Amino acid sequence: MDFLAWLQSTAFATAVAETIWAYPLLETMHALGMAMLLGSLGLTNLRVLGFKPELPLLGTQDLLPLAWLGFTINAVSGLALFASDAIYFFSSYTFRIKIVLIALAGINAVLLSRKVFHEPPAGGGADPVAKGLAAVSLVFWVGAAVAGRLIAYTP
Amino acid sequence: MDFLVWLESTPIAAAITTSVWMYATFETIHYIGLAMLVGSIMLIDLRLLGFARSLPLPPMLGLLPWVWVGFLINVVTGSLMFIYNATSFGTNKAFWVKMTLMALAGLNALAFTVAVARTGERWLTAGETPVAIKVVATLSLVLWLGVMTAGRWMAYV
Repeated sequence: MDFLAWLQSTAFATAVAETIWAYPLLETMHALGMAMLLGSLGLTNLRVLGFKPELPLLGTQDLLPLAWLGFTINAVSGLALFASDAIYFFSSYTFRIKIVLIALAGINAVLLSRKVFHEPPAGGGADPVAKGLAAVSLVFWVGAAVAGRLIAYTP
Repeated sequence: MDFLVWLESTPIAAAITTSVWMYATFETIHYIGLAMLVGSIMLIDLRLLGFARSLPLPPMLGLLPWVWVGFLINVVTGSLMFIYNATSFGTNKAFWVKMTLMALAGLNALAFTVAVARTGERWLTAGETPVAIKVVATLSLVLWLGVMTAGRWMAYV
């Protein structure tokens, strides 16, 4: 708690909280990062599930830089938004659910990329385990986006 | 202004007012629609600009229905949120900037559709996008980023 109080008292955090344009700018970046992340990982996961078979499965690796860019934008903008009101966000259950969902989505992404990209199955199709991981990935990421939006409305 | 006042007095607006959850739900669905719309259109535009070349262009253009579904979701949820806030959103500068940018993005998409219909067979399968199409793709990215920015600013002006 001391750390959170210190964090939100830093010059940076007060600037985010009190400058008129800083908060909406960070929120816009956060929405853009979300669209990058959900767009690229959404298409990759749907492809593993069998959607758009005309797209080569291994070719979806080309989308990973966009997913990482979106993730980085959101880690940076998210940390700045968090710092502006650290005690409030940390004590929000919805915020905690969001962070847990992101952690689970991250672990899931490592497993899925091993399964699909590092030991690609012969024939280019994905096995049932990979499909299960892809479906779970969609649930975790959409869940994180929903939880994120609801932080403002819930305890 | 009379029209905006009337909108806020409709039963739809009253229903949203009586339920705290309803507005939060519309806003959340609006974000999912945004991810579908901007997420898909960004993939198409970036592919046109030369990103992710391992993915053939024709099936990437096949993502357009996702753009439309996201757009429809956001027209519906956006209209419902507008009805609830008609007098404040209707006089909000950021809202009108957002609508103008959306109209321009629509015209830009129309130009793209016409160009693909007229010249697409020359470059779609070859995978090398003409410069004019790259300009349209860049404009699309800029305009949708502007729509998102203006949309977020509505809550602050």
